[in-house]
Amino acid sequence: MIRTNNITVKYGEIEIKFPNINLDYGGQLLIIGKSGSGKTSLLNVLGGLLSAESGNILVNDIDLFSLSNKKRDKFRGQQIGFVFQTPHFIKSLSVNDNLKFSQYMSSKINQSKIDMLLKKVDLNHLKNASIQNLSEGEKQRISIIRALVNQPSIIFADEPTSALDDNSCNNVVDLLTNLSRENNTTLVIVTHDNRIKDKFPNQINLNDF
Amino acid sequence: MIFKLAWRNIITRPLSSGLSAVLLSSSIMVIVLSMLTMKQMKSKFNENANKIDLVVGAKGSRLQSVLCNVFHIDYPNGNIKLKEVDFLFKHPFVKSAIPISLGDSYKKHRIIGTNPNFITQIYNGSISKGNFFNKPLEVVIGANVAAKLKLDIGDSFSGSHGIEESTHDHEDFPYRVVGILSPTGEIIDQLIVTSLESVWQVHPHNDKKGSFDLKTAEEHDHHSHDHKSEVYENNKEVTAVLVNYNSPRAKFSIPGIVNQKNALIGAEPAIEIKQLLDLIEPAVNVIYVLSLFIFGLSLFSIVVTLLNSMKDRKYEISMMRVGGASVRLIFISIILEGFFIGLLGSISGLILGHSIMGIMARFLNLKYNYQFSGLVFDSLELVLLIVTILIGMTAAIFPALAAYRLDISKTLKNKT
Repeated sequence: MIRTNNITVKYGEIEIKFPNINLDYGGQLLIIGKSGSGKTSLLNVLGGLLSAESGNILVNDIDLFSLSNKKRDKFRGQQIGFVFQTPHFIKSLSVNDNLKFSQYMSSKINQSKIDMLLKKVDLNHLKNASIQNLSEGEKQRISIIRALVNQPSIIFADEPTSALDDNSCNNVVDLLTNLSRENNTTLVIVTHDNRIKDKFPNQINLNDF
Repeated sequence: MIFKLAWRNIITRPLSSGLSAVLLSSSIMVIVLSMLTMKQMKSKFNENANKIDLVVGAKGSRLQSVLCNVFHIDYPNGNIKLKEVDFLFKHPFVKSAIPISLGDSYKKHRIIGTNPNFITQIYNGSISKGNFFNKPLEVVIGANVAAKLKLDIGDSFSGSHGIEESTHDHEDFPYRVVGILSPTGEIIDQLIVTSLESVWQVHPHNDKKGSFDLKTAEEHDHHSHDHKSEVYENNKEVTAVLVNYNSPRAKFSIPGIVNQKNALIGAEPAIEIKQLLDLIEPAVNVIYVLSLFIFGLSLFSIVVTLLNSMKDRKYEISMMRVGGASVRLIFISIILEGFFIGLLGSISGLILGHSIMGIMARFLNLKYNYQFSGLVFDSLELVLLIVTILIGMTAAIFPALAAYRLDISKTLKNKT
């Protein structure tokens, strides 16, 4: 569940104002906008990675910025999963260890959950592979699994399809929406990728603000 | 998991992490090597110096007299006439006075003319096979001599003149092995011991310097053809007399009596060895300073290595933070990387130091006639291990702070 009220973010002299968001548990929202419209900033504020200049944010009824840094980190690790345009991993670890490390950070190590998700995306054979040997499409699928591996209540995806071809783009969006639905996870995607516009009835266009 | 992450981060960057570890390892190796060499040298020197209270030899360098007659690593000053040191054998303050004659060797092992007290009183040596010499040209050999030269009871050999390799062998006077000593870990293991009479028999000349008073093999080889003189029973010579006191008062009287005589010099091994070690110590300290300099370099190298690694991994670190890793966890993981580099450097340095000491021991054994070993340990090594690990961790603080201060939002914005 996400509720925002009059959030603004300031970059030097420039202040960006964002629309209010009301999204219930398990809901899905697509935020679209041109480059520089503040999509990523909004996502970072919602995820507690960036402080807002003003306004209120409630995530699962918790005011993220009232939490101490340590508690906010813990909350993020347990309740929020992130997917980025360029998926970054710990290069020195294998696929399985990267997923396990995500669980370790939220104190929820559960190997069977990792195995189950890897099977679901047909990447079980890459479990022990070095993360550096994966294709971009494979990396993106693993990053979706990483976002889900702690069974978060919310997933924020920042341009998850922009670097992918049409086929991979469809696969990734289907995977995100289906897995979120199955796990009753709230999904927020920000993008400027018009290919996925039609898949989300619930949308906010930042260009309108 | 955090240990695994830190370890994997080290081993997936073998070149940069390896360089830091190698630098640390090199400084540890040099320190360990110097420490072990000095420790063993000091302990062996002091141990043996304390076995003998006074060395009475020919006028010359006191240190040379001690090194030659106690440690068997230098040339004799010359010979002394037995009648001049006769008083030592009767003096009430003297517990024992053991004459020794040097001059010959067999395959670089010195042949010492003396009496069995040399073995039993000074080195607490005992016969493991055979018995002590009774007649001239019978020898008792040290355990290492027997093992190295494969000599056994009944074997014969001819000694060479001088204490280095010589072209002049005393083929007319073959020695016969009648006893083998038990190993002691002392100089005696490397020596061939015979009676004084053997030496006098092999050297039946009595020129000005004495037949067995040869400083070098070459010197002897030039003069070896000139065997005109005879040995006079009342004018026998030895190289030195090793004296032990039975009264503390002897320390204040015997050296004085000895030094009053024109032809003699009395040298106290404990004093001479202390002076020698005091001379060596500054050189060893220079080595320590050099290794500290390498230590400093390795500290700098760890900082640079980890900082570069942080640059490469800033997105990884941001992702860890996004995934819920606290700044504390990130900080600890980088400090752990410093810990592992320190651990790798110190353990490999200690292993290298001991291994090289083991290899060097072979040469040192020959040079100093002692059993040096790479398997000698010092409690300071544990301190060294801990200090090195702490240094590795300290060096990681700066990169860890850089990671601590990383702006996740800004970093991800530039890349995503």
